Amino acid sequence: MRKESLTYEDVLRIVELVKTTRFSEFRLKVGEIEVHLRRKNGSGGETHAQAVSQVETAAPSPAGPERSFPAGAVLVRAPMVGTFYRAPAPGAEPFVEIGKHVEPDTTVCIIEVMKLMNSIPAEARGVVAEILLPNGARVEPGDVLLVIKPDPEDG
Amino acid sequence: MSKAGSRSKRFDFVDVTLRDAHQCLWSTRMTTAMMTPILGAIDRAGYAYINILGGAVFDVCVRYLHENPWERVKLLCERLETPCDALTRGQSLYTFELFPDDIVELNSEVFARLGVEVLTVYDALNDNRNVASSVRSGHAAGMKVNAMMTYTLSPVHTDAYYVARTKELVKLKADFISIKDPTGLLTPERGRTLFPAVVKAAGGVPLKLHSHCQSGLAPEVYEIAIRSGFRYGYTASEPLANGASLPATEDIGARARKLGFRTSLDAAALREIAGYFTCVAEREGKPLGQVARYDPALYEHQIPGGMISNLRSQLQAMSMEHRLPEILEEVPRVREDLGYPIVFSPFAQYVVTQATLNVVQGERYKTIPDEIRKYAMGYYGKLAAQPSAEFLERAAIRPGDLVTERPGEHIEPWIPRLRKALGPSVPDEDLLLAAFYPKPLLEPLRKRAPEYEFRTTPLNELIRFIGSRGDIEFAHVRFAGTEMSFSA
Repeated sequence: MRKESLTYEDVLRIVELVKTTRFSEFRLKVGEIEVHLRRKNGSGGETHAQAVSQVETAAPSPAGPERSFPAGAVLVRAPMVGTFYRAPAPGAEPFVEIGKHVEPDTTVCIIEVMKLMNSIPAEARGVVAEILLPNGARVEPGDVLLVIKPDPEDG
Repeated sequence: MSKAGSRSKRFDFVDVTLRDAHQCLWSTRMTTAMMTPILGAIDRAGYAYINILGGAVFDVCVRYLHENPWERVKLLCERLETPCDALTRGQSLYTFELFPDDIVELNSEVFARLGVEVLTVYDALNDNRNVASSVRSGHAAGMKVNAMMTYTLSPVHTDAYYVARTKELVKLKADFISIKDPTGLLTPERGRTLFPAVVKAAGGVPLKLHSHCQSGLAPEVYEIAIRSGFRYGYTASEPLANGASLPATEDIGARARKLGFRTSLDAAALREIAGYFTCVAEREGKPLGQVARYDPALYEHQIPGGMISNLRSQLQAMSMEHRLPEILEEVPRVREDLGYPIVFSPFAQYVVTQATLNVVQGERYKTIPDEIRKYAMGYYGKLAAQPSAEFLERAAIRPGDLVTERPGEHIEPWIPRLRKALGPSVPDEDLLLAAFYPKPLLEPLRKRAPEYEFRTTPLNELIRFIGSRGDIEFAHVRFAGTEMSFSA
């Protein structure tokens, strides 16, 4: 092993100098090692590509101000902030379509909350009258997801 | 020099620099190209084993680094003379879902063929029925098997609980047994009772400690393990140690020697590794591990720090940040209701999400995520304790819904179906990838791996650092007969 070999400690000292000083020209000569660096004009620190991040215009939340629903309609609402899914898996058949008859425990959609899937039941016996959101929509707590028109009470 | 009689006492090391250390500190983003230049020094450092793979490393390779994880495993096993250790989550392998036994078995065969010598396996519920298929197939493929028990704090996770798990693992014929403490909850006090009890129950099967540094107590905990008769400690190179990572090899090595134990560590090689990874961190803009200060709050909610900051930002998005303290108070109650799952992936997510739902909805268990119901029914394995009556009632789980058989039992074999779909000549490695991931995620893995560098020097790393700086337009470096200039 050569005694005068450059060590990682030496390198890290140089790294520290490069990072912490605002030089435009840098010359270092220690024993056998010589380093000469020149910074770009006017750049005193990190330079990064000027990537202007385009703010993605998020699809406007369809929730908006609460619209009115027919009297007696049962509203299935989002329990939490999350993502609305109409089917159990990508490409699978949706849980329900408009016109489908549901029982109180029929799963009508999934809300993904913090990566966990929440099956949302209809909570009423009736027919799916409206599905308000597209698959994959972001939802806020209380957003109406579906409207169920309840069956007339039996006698 | 230590006194006579200590001649036979040894303590050895399992390196986690290439796996858990960067998983904890660099979001698992260490590429194969960052590893290869320093493998020679890692081999010289005197480690007994080198851990090269775990669930997150496999997944990040595929999803984010677009590297074929099998190629990394093969290359590291070929290049390293030190035996390599690869970790899986048992019946879940690299994910949190369950796989059938035939996939678990094929995975063991592929490991052995690629050169893995130790299969390390754990189950997040400590249900050793989820570990059994890995132990069996690991042995059949010619590997040694290191079975881990996950440590957590709860009224049911007593010393007796871990003694019972240890005995199960001895019965399964594990070659090593490890205590894995993923959130750094072990204390020296607990180690003083737990470690000797587990050593005794292991009846000669060597023990390893794998504890993280969040509480700042891990180095002391390792000392207790060394004194209690543990044979190995999992550690990392100093710049990638501490914080959420594991203790530094340098530190634990010094402590072991002070306690009169011999180690095989080579200080010069360890210095080289540490210097190299510090340079990589500088070049790549990655953080270095900082020694964590003791924080008693960690023992109360047990939630990993990253998860709290994540939750805070989600609550911010709902303008509900002010509910965070209530949620943190609800967490231990939910955990009790759920039978004390370990507050770690994936169960940390369960507990925190359920606590958030309970608080935000203003009614406990109004909504229960499907995964939590499945967990509570025993679908993923046996729970540490019974869920509370309130929870079972709200979840509408009836005694007849409970799953009592081994989780792997209720999954049909997949290989016949996959072979049929992919053709009879598909390599086992590709078949497994197809079992774990949808096709589009695997497309990027087809790209050719870069030419890897297998050696480096400090000078070389200095030049790479300078080259990575966007603000340097001219550089001239001269050293011992080498002279180079470059300009942007």
